[in-house]
Amino acid sequence: MKAAILLASLLSPLAVAGQCDMNTGFTQADYTVTTDIVANKQHTENTFTLWRTPHQVAKQNPQFIELWQQLRNQQIRPIRYFQHAQRGIEYQPSEVQGEQDWSSKYQLVSDKFLASMTHQKSTGEGCDLTEYYTQQQGDSKIELSWLANQKLLKAIRISTPTYSREIALAASHHNQQKIQAEFAKWDNYQTTDYADIGDNESDPFLAKMINLGFVEHGASGFYDAQGNQLRGEHGHHH
Amino acid sequence: MATTMKKLNLISLAVVVALAGCSDDDDNSPKTLTVENTLAVGSEQCVNGGTETLTGADSNDNGELDSAEVTDTTVACNAPATSLTASQLAPLTDNEWFKSAQVKVATSEENIAAVVKESGKAKNVILFVGDGMGISTVTAARIMAGQLEGKLGEEHQLSFETLPFSGFAKTYNVDAQTPDSAGTMTAMASGVKTDAGVIGVDEDIERGNCATVAGNELVTATELAEIAGKSTGIVSTARITHATPAATYAKSADRNWEDVSDMPEAAVTAGCEDIASQLVNFEANLEARYEGLDVDGLEVVMGGGRRHFLPKDAAFNSADAVSAVEGDRTDGRDLTAEWKAKYPAGQYVMDQAGFDAIDAESTERVFGLFNESHMQYEADRANDVAGEPSLAEMTAKAIDVLDNNANGFMLTVEAGRIDHGHHAGNAYNALSDTVALSKAVQVALDKTSIEDTLIIVTADHSHVFTIAGYPKRGNPILGKVVPVGSDEPSLAADNMPYTTVGYTNGGGFRDLGDETDADAGYNFAPITGRVDLTDVDTTTPGFHQEAVVPLGSETHAAEDVGVYAVGPGAHLVTGTNEQSLIFHVMDYAADLVKQADAKLAQ
Repeated sequence: MKAAILLASLLSPLAVAGQCDMNTGFTQADYTVTTDIVANKQHTENTFTLWRTPHQVAKQNPQFIELWQQLRNQQIRPIRYFQHAQRGIEYQPSEVQGEQDWSSKYQLVSDKFLASMTHQKSTGEGCDLTEYYTQQQGDSKIELSWLANQKLLKAIRISTPTYSREIALAASHHNQQKIQAEFAKWDNYQTTDYADIGDNESDPFLAKMINLGFVEHGASGFYDAQGNQLRGEHGHHH
Repeated sequence: MATTMKKLNLISLAVVVALAGCSDDDDNSPKTLTVENTLAVGSEQCVNGGTETLTGADSNDNGELDSAEVTDTTVACNAPATSLTASQLAPLTDNEWFKSAQVKVATSEENIAAVVKESGKAKNVILFVGDGMGISTVTAARIMAGQLEGKLGEEHQLSFETLPFSGFAKTYNVDAQTPDSAGTMTAMASGVKTDAGVIGVDEDIERGNCATVAGNELVTATELAEIAGKSTGIVSTARITHATPAATYAKSADRNWEDVSDMPEAAVTAGCEDIASQLVNFEANLEARYEGLDVDGLEVVMGGGRRHFLPKDAAFNSADAVSAVEGDRTDGRDLTAEWKAKYPAGQYVMDQAGFDAIDAESTERVFGLFNESHMQYEADRANDVAGEPSLAEMTAKAIDVLDNNANGFMLTVEAGRIDHGHHAGNAYNALSDTVALSKAVQVALDKTSIEDTLIIVTADHSHVFTIAGYPKRGNPILGKVVPVGSDEPSLAADNMPYTTVGYTNGGGFRDLGDETDADAGYNFAPITGRVDLTDVDTTTPGFHQEAVVPLGSETHAAEDVGVYAVGPGAHLVTGTNEQSLIFHVMDYAADLVKQADAKLAQ
């Protein structure tokens, strides 16, 4: 495979800038989320890891993992894994159009959102090709840097006079074996259809799900200037 | 009233008789006057009417008997009427409610006279179970079905509501006030109430403890029918390994042991068999329990739950898998292949096309697994990747295959997703699946005879689903409460409108518009408190009703459920009974135990 890629790069003068020969189909990306609230000088930092295979993406927080599978019919199936309990809850693939944007799960920012931003400049080449975008909405400013050939968010910063949040890539790896092992580990957790939870009040883990239901996200989500979640997760709007 | 009259006017009285004390003109003594008043029917003195006679002297000589002059009062009441005239009855007899009820009384008399009361006369038995189909669900589904047909709705009847006999079942489990499907279906299938969460075993079981299964296994109506030489079938829109269908064929210390990967290692090591494996090994397991028994196994198995029958290997994925790896089995077994090897003449199908291709008249047996997990909600069925048959279609096909046996058949049909629609707090799907059950029952009624087929329709338990407020007649059952005489929704104390149907607990409000999958609601946190529904269309498939107590999943309820029956032995379905009675009615009607005993004695 590497020989073929090398041959292709020799044949095309644009290839060096236009492609990345890392195994980007398998990605482990560690992010740091920094939030500052000006009024009370509150500063918080969180981390999460984005795991990707060609048709699965997982966002791992300290408490749980949200995983989405892209099905053959392009529906997206969510699964939520709880690491401490080594259990999982399977959700139904959504049929609502607004929930079908795979890019919003896979890249953290959707292709549609990227297209709505203003391209400022590009630097680097190959795997390091970085595109810079901005968007101003009222007093909110969004700055985004994008590793185009890896389809990977490098950083996004949303700032207003009173608030700022930045999600920045701390490190990325493309160790296919390790990444597949991680997905396989979660896959071996005992899972339950959410539809079956109501019939399992005697199971302590599921009883907790009955009582608590959906577990709110950690502080890694981010929003556009109107307060809409950029990744479109769990945000039905009709 | 006559007795309170201050002055009696002679002119106005019905009868005035002046009695001269004597004919002597010179006699100055006052004249004696008598007045008769007619008392109306319903009067205080005479309920049937009568005559009041007042007598006294006209002492002031004014020609009238003043009240102060009355010295004697007598009352003569009419005898009670012995009949009403046609004109008196007309307001009743011309009334449509009155007439239809009279017809119903006559029909009921005929039904009681005609029902086959002798035991053992049912060649076929069909048990329909609406999982979670409580009384309020039946009522709301009836209204929905009627409104879908352009009626006001309330007057409509679901197919099974037309059955001649009905009663109530007390659903509690031996260890639980509010039951689950495992314990309740075990009661119906085996005639013995047991604990929540266990399948086909009595209350001496310890849930989750494999070692306590042995010796506590129950025999089911399906097994008795199989031993008796009848054809046997199980159909469900849930996973076929789910609690309700499983209770017809499996014995398990835990309802969740649907495949080997769901079981604790100790249970596997101790020799307990997962539910999916028990389904495929039904024939062998039954034969192993009774020396010399030779049966031919289940003829019809249709439902969801393919994942419990396939190895955890993507190579075994079906065309409409919704997981990266469809199968869950960690023992490497492909139970669909094992079934095909056991029954080479049988047909394994997994989609609508395969289902449609089955020629029921020439097919010996069918194994249909139409979904990786539960089959789709009826309202969502069109979205299935490979296509799934409806409950009515599966019922029709099942009967057509099973009735190839001259000895008759025992069929259990579960509408398994009514329960799930309610758990998701989505009345639209719960009611749509109830209407789908009604259609399936109608198919069974059309395809069988009440002379030789007992059909029972019931639920395993109820849900905390309510029909509330004071909506006017014909108000959309999924709509906001609009009161009698108004076109505007009623407002609650918080000045916001509210829906007729709602839930006591659960996930509460979601407005998912056209979403026809109730389970999509689980992607959102429970919403506590009230929501302003003024601009929300609450009749859409994706609307989830408000709930009072916020829970991640709406819960079962503990009140009784209805039982409806027709055919031989159906007259035994009457009154309020333990749910376990249902098995005994089926046994009485078809002599299941007697026939099975006779077969084993051969």
